[in-house]
Amino acid sequence: MPNGATFADAYPTQARHIRAAFWASFLSLGVGAFFGLIQALHRTDILRVIESQTYYTVLTAHGVFLVISFTIFFLVGVFQWAVTDSLERPPVDMRFTWGWYGLMSLGASLTAFAILAGFTDSIDVRANVLFTFYAPLQAHPLFYVGLVVFVVGTWLAGADWFRSWLAWKGDNPGERIPLPTFMVLTTMIMWYISSIGVAVAILAFILPWSLELTGSLNPTLTRTLFWYFGHPVVYFWLLPAYLLWYILLPKLAGGRLFSDPLARVVFILFVLLSTPVGIHHQYLDPGISEGFKFIAMTNTMFLLLPSLLTAFTIIASMEHGARQRGGEGYFNWLTALPWRDPAFTGMALAGMVFAFGGFTGIVNAGMNINYLVHNTLWVPGHIHTQVGTAAALTFMAGAYWLVPQLTGNRLVGRGLALVQVVLWFVGIVFMTNSMYRGGLVGIPRRTAEPQYEGFEYEVAAGSVGELNAQLAIGGTILFVSAMLFLALMVLTAFNGGTEPIDDGSIPPALSGPEDSPAVLDNLKLWVAIAAVLVVIAYSFPLASIVSRGGLFGPDIGPIPVAIDAASTVARTALEAVSAVVR
Amino acid sequence: MRIHQYERVWLLASMVLIVGFIATITYGAVGLGITMVDDRGATIAPDEINEDERFGDPRVEQVGDDEYEVYAVAMTFAFQPDPIEIPADSEVTFYVTSRDVIHSFYVVGTNTNTMVIPGEISVVTVEFDEPGEYGLICTEYCGAAHHEMEGQLAVLEDEEFDLTELEVEAPDEVEPDGEIEITATVTNGQLEAIEETVTVELGDETLEESVTVEGDESESVTLTVDAADLGEGDHDWTASAGDLTESGTVSVVEGSEDDTEGGDDA
Amino acid sequence: MSNVARQEDPASVERIEHDEFDPVGTLALIAFYFAVLVLLWLFTYFVEFLGNVPTPVVVA
Repeated sequence: MPNGATFADAYPTQARHIRAAFWASFLSLGVGAFFGLIQALHRTDILRVIESQTYYTVLTAHGVFLVISFTIFFLVGVFQWAVTDSLERPPVDMRFTWGWYGLMSLGASLTAFAILAGFTDSIDVRANVLFTFYAPLQAHPLFYVGLVVFVVGTWLAGADWFRSWLAWKGDNPGERIPLPTFMVLTTMIMWYISSIGVAVAILAFILPWSLELTGSLNPTLTRTLFWYFGHPVVYFWLLPAYLLWYILLPKLAGGRLFSDPLARVVFILFVLLSTPVGIHHQYLDPGISEGFKFIAMTNTMFLLLPSLLTAFTIIASMEHGARQRGGEGYFNWLTALPWRDPAFTGMALAGMVFAFGGFTGIVNAGMNINYLVHNTLWVPGHIHTQVGTAAALTFMAGAYWLVPQLTGNRLVGRGLALVQVVLWFVGIVFMTNSMYRGGLVGIPRRTAEPQYEGFEYEVAAGSVGELNAQLAIGGTILFVSAMLFLALMVLTAFNGGTEPIDDGSIPPALSGPEDSPAVLDNLKLWVAIAAVLVVIAYSFPLASIVSRGGLFGPDIGPIPVAIDAASTVARTALEAVSAVVR
Repeated sequence: MRIHQYERVWLLASMVLIVGFIATITYGAVGLGITMVDDRGATIAPDEINEDERFGDPRVEQVGDDEYEVYAVAMTFAFQPDPIEIPADSEVTFYVTSRDVIHSFYVVGTNTNTMVIPGEISVVTVEFDEPGEYGLICTEYCGAAHHEMEGQLAVLEDEEFDLTELEVEAPDEVEPDGEIEITATVTNGQLEAIEETVTVELGDETLEESVTVEGDESESVTLTVDAADLGEGDHDWTASAGDLTESGTVSVVEGSEDDTEGGDDA
Repeated sequence: MSNVARQEDPASVERIEHDEFDPVGTLALIAFYFAVLVLLWLFTYFVEFLGNVPTPVVVA
């Protein structure tokens, strides 16, 4: 990219495409945040504007809009930027690029329609199944169809980036993959491996069942397939934040990335370990042996490693910036960081929250300690510190730097932007403090009314009223912060005739790719190892679940699995035919 | 590969942390005997629940000196049995299954917490040392009234706890020349024999009898009264054993059909 | 802001390369984080979790 030119100057078509992805993302953020506000006030019984049964429609929308639509639309934009910028070339065929964006938008719209139709009785469509859609709860088929179309869109996006990389490789034989592209490709490999699980769950079992083509299904099986996908998906949200921390944050701090080799190692570890861990979401499930749970736990604990390594590299990169800016001492250098820059401060705060959320994740990962927190408010506390802050706040902070590059416009309201990221931090501290503590005394998650008749929660320090107040205050601050962010984005988009204060260039790492062995870039090797690990971690549990409950449900007799499946399909076909005849 | 000295130190420290976490969990599992919900329960299809020997009649059963089993069913939006009563200082194994969708079985403020999945039976053994009242809730979203799904778990003092049931058989209507037979049956669900004083009253007639009911057995006491002695009209009866009481009315009527109907279970 | 500074007066900015940079501040911060993790873990496991009886145990 020519020096001093913004991304929008160098790649106007691509910038338009990325902006489209960001707008889809921001729209979802606005709607999802509004639903979040309703929930925070409803479950604490401070203000109830909806019926309690409608809460679950709101909750489904909050989950799907934020963790599927907001995060993934944003990350495909970031990834498109990272690939184009670091390979210094546009996609091979822009029509294909618009194509996958169109598919994602179509899928998201279908699913959104299925969910939002739940607010009115005039349309007979419902999808109050939450973001996890555990069968036998059943949504309208459109909900599942939309999800599938959306995921296929992301698969094609990945294919697009691999295609760009292959074209680049042809022109640059023997060169190391630029780090941003390396991160995108490895993340997509992880995504391909893991999203197979949800694809099978929906296409083979849940969708045919919701269309009444099959009469029953095995809830443990679909749940396990969901979590096969459900844990790696959190890394799908998180790794774009990592990308911004590795690529952008050092620059924003005034320094350079400390180590390119370790960044590569970290992403490879995520490829290897993200998927064979999903059973840690099922520690309290019957029908899965303790041995499988223990294996999932050890894998999960080792998954801490890439995050712990990241903590070091990122802090060291920031310290490098601080030292270059004249920072001194063991801790005083922190004051030399550019805390007035909203992009920097937002990411740094997000990282800080993530470090604490990492601890709560360790608790979630610890097999038997899961009895303490399982399905309590502790878990959404964890989610909101991780995807809700580590990812979301990093995305917002990143947008303060990226959107000017993508529009060629100067960010409007730099001071307000700083207020916005600090507000988010304050809001999340209030809200998750309440959630973590509430979880420890047994307040459940995912409920419209955690107030029961038969008992009181025993809060050792503080009271339920105080916890509720914190949750509601925190939720309200987060909502205000989200709205402020969106307002600044809209104003920036219309801030024509200006130019960004930053030139968009990314400084090279202190220790570059030449300091690492080339085998790190051998993607085929890592795919193969990852596949082996997945097979080891999942083949026995899946076989056991199928042999216990049958492929299509627990009411199927003790016939060998292979024959079982065939006979069920045959029986279903017969039933379908007889239904038509009747 | 070039890695800074400090980063090597941190890599090592990270491994120590990870191994330490795994070691703690392993200590909990092996050293303290904390066990996970797993695949030791059999499978059961939701449509088999009503015919099942255990879940067809959700209940508490004594299986050893201080050992009890609870067969519980979760369904939208309730638990059976409710309340669940168990004695303090006992080892209780919960067997829980679902009639419909995925639920959970969570004794609020404790580690007694399991998912309940249709088709599977969750098995959890815990020891309740102290008496107390606990809330029992479903923590997995299960439908529009999920937030109303709650039950009670009462851990009772040993002397307050029993599994004694009183069942009474009495006619509704009797001819004036007939006989009225009221049979009170005391069932002892516990393993140790119990002494109960059974009292049956009808009009002026009272029968009081002490019975010894062996563990897992039942004993019956029958009061027989001539209808003629009571005269036409409605006559109230009561039967009691310990603190259990049943009552009803028998009518002495001309031309009645003598259909016997049992009283309600205790 | 750093960029603005660098563009205006590049000579005034220190250039620190990998080999001459020992991130002692990072080491200090991360050692603190290590200690926090260990303490929080011990508290959560041995006080919060093990105190939250009754806990499912092995059937004798």
